[in-house]
Amino acid sequence: MTSLQSVLLEFCRWCNGSSFGHGIRDSVWLFPFIETFHLVALGVLGGSILLLNMRLVGLRFPAMPLRELACELRVWMAGSLVVLLASGFLLFCTEAVKMYGNWAFRLKMLMLVLAVLFTFTLHRRLTLMEEARIAAAWRWLAAALCVMLWAGVGLGGRAIGYVTTAASALP
Amino acid sequence: MSLDQLLQWLHDTPFSVTMRESLWGEPIVETIHVLTLSVFLGFVVLLDLRLLDLALRRSRVSEVFQQINPVLFGGFAVMLLTGALLFSGDPPAFYSTIFFKLKMIMLLCACLNVVLFNVTLGRRLPEWDRLPRTPRAVKLTGFLSLLLWVLIVAAGRGIAYVLPPP
Repeated sequence: MTSLQSVLLEFCRWCNGSSFGHGIRDSVWLFPFIETFHLVALGVLGGSILLLNMRLVGLRFPAMPLRELACELRVWMAGSLVVLLASGFLLFCTEAVKMYGNWAFRLKMLMLVLAVLFTFTLHRRLTLMEEARIAAAWRWLAAALCVMLWAGVGLGGRAIGYVTTAASALP
Repeated sequence: MSLDQLLQWLHDTPFSVTMRESLWGEPIVETIHVLTLSVFLGFVVLLDLRLLDLALRRSRVSEVFQQINPVLFGGFAVMLLTGALLFSGDPPAFYSTIFFKLKMIMLLCACLNVVLFNVTLGRRLPEWDRLPRTPRAVKLTGFLSLLLWVLIVAAGRGIAYVLPPP
């Protein structure tokens, strides 16, 4: 086991044993309650990202300058991401050690890092550029990449439950 | 035929049996339901925030409707279809949960809210479209919609929680 793996496993063990890990596990309704926040924030982030990318390729809000829409949506995107990360962390703490060995969870985290990095650096700079200077091919490429990365996060998240079920069915 | 008998009859249709027994049917349909939710809900929220004067304020309400509605209704159609498919897997079990009943009632309220808006405030949209702030009644509609949709998501979460996938 490499040192990174042992650090991650140690972190998962700490989360599992933390007071919120225990608290949420022991409560019947806290888990779905936090999950509702996770889902609503997911909706806001997903909708904002799709709308921004549809504008980037000229499908929606053609009359509104791209930069204006990007600035307008940025606060909702950043806000919902914060809620997603916080609620996601709390949900993670309830079964952190199980998640350590779950390949779908690892895939989701990898996609999440890539999606956040891309959306808030390269993609953001592109949406703030003067529109006329961006070639159509670049817009479509950036929009497709952005939507696919986030869809990957969502699909990874969906898969977590099914992978857990399969693993727990093993003897 | 009572409601219980109707639900049982649905439960015994070949379609329902296929949905229940197929290994991939439920995960695929539920994945489509949740992924569509993750954009549909965002469009609903953005529209409601516009009615509340909290987002997209530099665009007129009529323009926001025009740009968002096609995507919104497309998403809603997918949500309804996949939701009905999930329900068809085991109608009596869904109906037995309080969350399902609550969700259906709130869904009806949300639709009623849209219809009422369209026949009253929506008719007079040209009158308030250019105002710097939306009228109070419009804000109330936006707030009601926002509240109902958050509760609908919570109820949906509740269904999945008391009715774990087979």
